[in-house]
Amino acid sequence: MSESDTKAKPSAAFLQSRRNALRSYLGAYGFMAPAGVLVIIFFLVPVAIVLYLSVTNLASSNFTSDLARMEFIGLKNYETLLNDQFARKIFFNTIFYVLVTLSIFNVSLALVVSLLTTHIDRSAGFVFRALWILPRITSPVVYILIWKRMMAEAPFGILNQFNELLGQPTYNYVSTNPWVFVVVVNGFIGVSFGMIIFTSAIESIPKDLLNASLVDGSSRMQRIRYVILPLIRWPLLFVVTYQTLSLLTSFVEIQLLTDGGPGLYRTEVWSLTAFHRALSNYFGNAQWGYGSAFAVLLVMIGVVLAVIYMRVFRFDELVAEPRVEAL
Amino acid sequence: MIRKLSITALFVLMLGLLAGFAVAQDAVSITVRCKASPPEEDWRCNSFAVVEEQVEADLGIEIDLNLIQDNAGWGDYKNEFVLASEAGEAPDIILSGHEDIGAWAPAGFIIPLDDVIPMHSEFDDIVPSLWDSHGYAGQIWGIPQDAEARPIFYSKLLLRDLGWSEDDIESLPDRVVAGEWTFADMLATAEAAIDEGVVDAGNGWWHRPSNGPDFLYYYYGHGGEVLDMEGNLVVDRDALVATYELLGGAVESGVLRSDIIGLDWGEVWHPTVGQAETVLFAAGGTWNWPNWAINYVADKGGDEYLFENIGLTLIPAMATGKAITLTHPLTYMISSGSENPDVALALIAAITTPEHNNKHAIDSFHLGILNAQLESEAYANNRLLSSAHYMLDHTTALPNHPGWNAWSGAYFLGIQAVETGEADAAGAADIAIAQMQNELGDGIAVR
Repeated sequence: MSESDTKAKPSAAFLQSRRNALRSYLGAYGFMAPAGVLVIIFFLVPVAIVLYLSVTNLASSNFTSDLARMEFIGLKNYETLLNDQFARKIFFNTIFYVLVTLSIFNVSLALVVSLLTTHIDRSAGFVFRALWILPRITSPVVYILIWKRMMAEAPFGILNQFNELLGQPTYNYVSTNPWVFVVVVNGFIGVSFGMIIFTSAIESIPKDLLNASLVDGSSRMQRIRYVILPLIRWPLLFVVTYQTLSLLTSFVEIQLLTDGGPGLYRTEVWSLTAFHRALSNYFGNAQWGYGSAFAVLLVMIGVVLAVIYMRVFRFDELVAEPRVEAL
Repeated sequence: MIRKLSITALFVLMLGLLAGFAVAQDAVSITVRCKASPPEEDWRCNSFAVVEEQVEADLGIEIDLNLIQDNAGWGDYKNEFVLASEAGEAPDIILSGHEDIGAWAPAGFIIPLDDVIPMHSEFDDIVPSLWDSHGYAGQIWGIPQDAEARPIFYSKLLLRDLGWSEDDIESLPDRVVAGEWTFADMLATAEAAIDEGVVDAGNGWWHRPSNGPDFLYYYYGHGGEVLDMEGNLVVDRDALVATYELLGGAVESGVLRSDIIGLDWGEVWHPTVGQAETVLFAAGGTWNWPNWAINYVADKGGDEYLFENIGLTLIPAMATGKAITLTHPLTYMISSGSENPDVALALIAAITTPEHNNKHAIDSFHLGILNAQLESEAYANNRLLSSAHYMLDHTTALPNHPGWNAWSGAYFLGIQAVETGEADAAGAADIAIAQMQNELGDGIAVR
């Protein structure tokens, strides 16, 4: 056996293993490519554009789509934003809105509805869940019009008409309690998402596990506490993460209901401010550059929160290969 | 034989198609974009269709006229034009508020008209004061489409309940013009109406429930200015404080409700004010009248009900001692992307006549823009228009300036602050001025 032969044999095996590894990588990246392209086109490119807009003074009075013709002003928009006397208020409004809506409706109520509707007759549960989905599938404009018509002051609002019939005082509900309605209106929409995820997670728990807990003498509440909740931990964490980011960027219902008022930005949230500045104001001279600065900060907050959630909730474990298959 | 006939028919068909194509090639395409509340404001765009043939004959061309008219929100409507302009797809003619000249002229989206206006005698007759609001950087950028006044509507029904005689009620507009009945008198009357139970607290006087041009006349009424002699933005602190004192004071005294800003226009404001049974004084616009007649009191008699129960007057004198109003003319502007601006202007000239503008004025209760309109039978005999046209002699206007949007937004913040009790008048002025300075920097002078 020559020296060259002894070298050739391991080299062939090595090449084969490299080929296999490359094929495996290509397969993985091939499967990821469609999603990756979508993320690049619909997230990274827009973020890059908005980032660039935020360092220009682009407005209706000097509008151009030619990036080279936009006037670069450095961090001036960010300086203006940080000096805005209401930026802090709007920031904390956003935190309040996300935390309250998320904790009361998007997670807790969604979980309660899921648990209740999976513990009653199956078809009745389906009907209740279908009802809870109505706010999400209704056009936001129609949905808010319904709320406005219900809550309008006397003699126009339906609730106030009942108040008058009963001899009770009437109220301008939305103006008096704007946050209550902002949270409730958005929360009713948010419940459906968690409800669907949780219900499917609960339904997929093997029945023998559930039955075994009852045979072992647990009450229904104990079964929920010690069997169901631990088994739907991942869906719970996913809903918390996804809905946090979703609420951070949602503003349509708030715009239609209170438009950030009443008074001084009482219910204005960050994404609504970005919209107001960049795209919508009564007299028309929209501040695209300044509005983009608000949007960029929102993206940064969202990315930071997403990373924190992924670390704290250990999402790598969620997507790890099942241990039984790793053996 | 059949073959020959077929060939001949085919030949004739091809000739016909070619001829049609040639005509289509010669047709001048003009797109007009209008915002209008249907049905009363539809003449804004529809008038062009009426004069199309006449202009075709005058110019010896064929016009392919494309009218796009809807009642989109102002913000969306204006953004649409900005984006379309940049994309090279702007309409030839855009109808919008004159204040857009301040943003669109420097952006190069519209063209100046000084050189071409003299070519059309129709424009000679436009009420001279209306041109003032169409200028920017020393040039004229639009042709007035309509004018209006923003008056105080008063409920005759409730004033009668308060014990006013018919003479007192009917003479109110004259007394306001003469400065005998001031804004302070209006607030005192409203307070009396509340005290005597004629109206509920908060219903003595309503202003509009969202930001808009009206609010500026309170500031003007206290001697404030938005532009200095050189056309730069200014804010007069004293006038600002006085304005906020007036608005905040009205809330404190119970005349004006603290949650007026945010009320729904269609759900609450119009149906309440239009009925004349709940609110004593309301600051609105002349065009509200046909809207109420058609949509809110049609079952009670429409126009007749309104004439019987609602009157309108100038905004009573405030600190300056002069009764005023504010006119916000809508304006036809020609986009810089138009390939046929001469045809576009000819179309605008053709509808700038008493005959055509009267249709819009009468249907929508917008004031006329031509001197000849005032003398025309249709206009002069219109009870509503003839009762309001004098207001143009006492009018003010918004400024045309790219920074007006920031100025207005900050000014409105102060109004919200003082009416909801989140700041007193001086504090509200501080809020507004700080906001103006932060957003406009050196572009605003505080006096």
